[in-house]
Amino acid sequence: MPKKLKEVLVEAGIPMDFESGGHSPANLTDREIVREPHARVKALKDIFMQTLSSANNEFPYWYSREYFALDSEIPVIRRAQALKTAFSHLTPVIYPGELLVMHKAPFFRGSFPMPWLSEGYYMAKEDELYQDALKRGSASADEHSKFGTGGGNVTKSFGKVVSLAGKFGMRQEEIPGLLNLAKKWVGKSVDDLGHKYEQMVPDYEVKEALMRNVFCMFDSGYTLPQGREVINYYYPLEYGIDGLLEIARELKDKVAGRADGDGIKGTNRLFNYEAIILVLEGISTWIGNYAKEARRLEGLEKDAAQKREYSQIAERLEYLAHGKPRDFRDAIQMILTFHLAVLNEDAISGMSPGRIGQVLYPYFEQDIASGRISEDEVMELLELYRLSISSIDCFASAGVVGGVLSGNTFNTVSIGGLTKDGKHACNRLEYLLLEAGLTNAMPQPTLALLYDEKLPEDFLLLAMETIKSGVGYPAFMNNQSGMTFMMNQYAAEGMTPEEARAWAIGGCLESSACCWKPLHLNGKEYFIPGGAGQPTSVGVHFLALPKILEAVLWNGVDQRTGQKVFEPHNRTFNTYEELWDQFKLYWQKAVDILALTNNIQHDVWRKNNMAVINSLMKPDCLDTGHLIDEKGYRYNATYNVESAGTITAVNSLAAIKKLVYVDKSVTLEDLKKAVKDNFGFKTAKEVNSFSLSDQEKREDGPSAWDKLHFMCLQAPKYGNDEAFADQILLEWEEFFCPDCSNYESLFAHKMYPCQISVSTHGAMGSATIASMDGRLAGTTFADASLSAFPGTDRNGVYALLNSAAIWDHTQSQNSQLNIKVHPSAIQGPSGSRKLLDLCQAYMRKGGFHIQFNVVDTKVLKDAQENPQNYRDLMVRVAGFTQYWVEIGKPVQDELIARTEYEGI
Amino acid sequence: MTVKLNHRDCQNFAAIDVSKGICHLTKNIVLSDTEQCPDCAPLRKCSGCKQFAATKDAVEMGVCNASRNDPKFFAYPDMVATTCEMYQGR
Repeated sequence: MPKKLKEVLVEAGIPMDFESGGHSPANLTDREIVREPHARVKALKDIFMQTLSSANNEFPYWYSREYFALDSEIPVIRRAQALKTAFSHLTPVIYPGELLVMHKAPFFRGSFPMPWLSEGYYMAKEDELYQDALKRGSASADEHSKFGTGGGNVTKSFGKVVSLAGKFGMRQEEIPGLLNLAKKWVGKSVDDLGHKYEQMVPDYEVKEALMRNVFCMFDSGYTLPQGREVINYYYPLEYGIDGLLEIARELKDKVAGRADGDGIKGTNRLFNYEAIILVLEGISTWIGNYAKEARRLEGLEKDAAQKREYSQIAERLEYLAHGKPRDFRDAIQMILTFHLAVLNEDAISGMSPGRIGQVLYPYFEQDIASGRISEDEVMELLELYRLSISSIDCFASAGVVGGVLSGNTFNTVSIGGLTKDGKHACNRLEYLLLEAGLTNAMPQPTLALLYDEKLPEDFLLLAMETIKSGVGYPAFMNNQSGMTFMMNQYAAEGMTPEEARAWAIGGCLESSACCWKPLHLNGKEYFIPGGAGQPTSVGVHFLALPKILEAVLWNGVDQRTGQKVFEPHNRTFNTYEELWDQFKLYWQKAVDILALTNNIQHDVWRKNNMAVINSLMKPDCLDTGHLIDEKGYRYNATYNVESAGTITAVNSLAAIKKLVYVDKSVTLEDLKKAVKDNFGFKTAKEVNSFSLSDQEKREDGPSAWDKLHFMCLQAPKYGNDEAFADQILLEWEEFFCPDCSNYESLFAHKMYPCQISVSTHGAMGSATIASMDGRLAGTTFADASLSAFPGTDRNGVYALLNSAAIWDHTQSQNSQLNIKVHPSAIQGPSGSRKLLDLCQAYMRKGGFHIQFNVVDTKVLKDAQENPQNYRDLMVRVAGFTQYWVEIGKPVQDELIARTEYEGI
Repeated sequence: MTVKLNHRDCQNFAAIDVSKGICHLTKNIVLSDTEQCPDCAPLRKCSGCKQFAATKDAVEMGVCNASRNDPKFFAYPDMVATTCEMYQGR
């Protein structure tokens, strides 16, 4: 029986202790707080729990049919007309018991491919998919009763269902149509056109090598061209669809044929307003089709209560297809409808609703005051809203959906923060939003608490109760740091301190530019916040520091594949400073080439595939007549450089510096040999575990590396409030943050750092050989950007906070620190207080973000062994919560391995 | 020839996902590919439309003669046509 690393270390007298601050109880410990939603919500949630992610061709069929019928049209009109046609033909589906209605596609958890962004996956898979579809046609009826495993993921084909990308199910009857659609977009998609032109960038082969060898995780131009931003619901709420149509028609008349001093873009406004009119008409028809379906069901229904609800739904939708919301029920339906509308115009991850506690408050306040609605009814609607948002899937490639997103779509709601005039924003509705997250515990919307010293104590303690329920939210975000970052990045485009207070989280934890707009309801004016910035899902995304370090050590060559990535530097590193210098040079080369090629992809996107619906909702497009492609958004400096594997690289650099250059106890060449040989261990893939502690020695593995491996594992590690490793983190941040502004987006703005991992620490770790910190080949990197590597934070949780706060977080869009806490460590009111003290301590030190997994590691291990017993178990992965059963094994292993704090 | 219809071919079937749905009449969850009940109300699909012309030798594919594309845009018999304004029942 091969020995596991854990056993080898125990024998050597240096056990890897993954518990900190004590030992957990022997028995499985459940979370302290468990609440239930309303009965109606529970019934619908039960359906959700059985629902498979499903896709069909309806939207792409009608979109493509219209698009190709208009091949001589102006691009923005062609795009808008295609969207209008697609929305107008979506089949409405309403489920018994729903109060909030409308879905992305005609399934509970539906989505669809967008071959105009990228069709390569289907073309590459053409024969395989087609043959699978034919084979499925002869499947036996018995297979139909198997609804698949892995939560809602369709990991394998069954019955007449074909698995796409290991995630989505599509009917076999649809596969020939899908392939037919894909063929029509060959050479025309953003992916294909972008690729054609990005190859014209000098040194393009470096970019190809970076992608092929997983130094960088994905191209943002055609995978997720929008997202990680905050939507803005102001215009549909203030004006309604007919009101917006009237505005657009008036402005179209005003600008037709007029340049008004802008000889390049001025006359484009005519086409842009016409495009806005077209998409609004399409959305109105879509809502109207749902209203017709509700009327049909009303006629069919025998149960009086359900019949009345269908009637009310029909009346509401008939009205909202034209008018502005009159009350809370109208308003929450309207924001859901426009949210789904935006998500249907592009492959989008992280289109966050933002601060809906502020946005919906006018309706809440007036309805409660007049008795039109009770708090209990509001709670039920908020619980249903969580169900609708959790049902949002994003159809993208396997690498993006699985490797990056873990199936989540990051529709984050921000709570707390400040009002326009600087008071705390915790109105009664904000409390109910938090409570709904407790009573209807579902992955989305995850909650981001914008922590400010002004927030009331009882609100913060309610947040602690919610965290203790194990849902993984709310995460704490530093409000003042977020505002400072806003001013640093957007003051050049006119951001004021007052406007900075409107900021919110877009996506997991991406600080996003917002603004205030005056909403009028029954003669009263309210200033509500909403998104005013472009996507932040764009730019250079997930560049892995450990891979760059590997290239530095091996003269530009990836050691897993043997492929050349960078031009050889041919340097020998006599000092640590020389090695660090080369690291920075390779990093800059990688960022530069990726920024240029991504600019080209996004340029193709904005020319042919620009956002029309999202644009019309974002200030100041409707006012100026310019959409996103013409910088119609108020804030456009949103492109960023996103890092991955920071702490794994910091620990590796610390080991090199200590062992090779300070102690001189080993040569760099010997260290490289040991790493290349994976310290005598099997690979993670061979072991089928991606956690370091589970790795096994090779039967024939030389013991020659044992001592060296122990030295690497015992070298200084980040997260212990010790200067040696923490200074390396500081040095990295002081290089990385300002360096980002050396790269320019296609909108001619400087870039900035983004430091989150999502799930890339799993996928990228699996493509990386062992590292100098003692991590073994194929195992995950440390998660997030400031979480300690599992088992290496040995000086207590406050030491970890000190290490994390060593640098100035306001220089970056975000940072990310995840901590796993055993439920017994924070039991009772005193436990809540301790947890709050911890959060506040980190915020006061200048930390940007902290969040918790309150879970017993033994429960996670049991869930991995017996997933059938844990369909509803949720865990915090990175900046998001997800069902355990829908997470890939590498990240599951990493979650199990994370240090568990038994006391704080 | 009588075409066998399944639950997923019925107007009163609300698809939950690609393999099952809820029957609006009974409120039960039913499998998509199990046979319809006597109360089935056939769903409008391209296969039942006069504008749909099947492609010779390819049962899963055809064209929509109502499309304004040149050549006519493809269509396939299983596509739901509830919202299609060009639908003409056979």
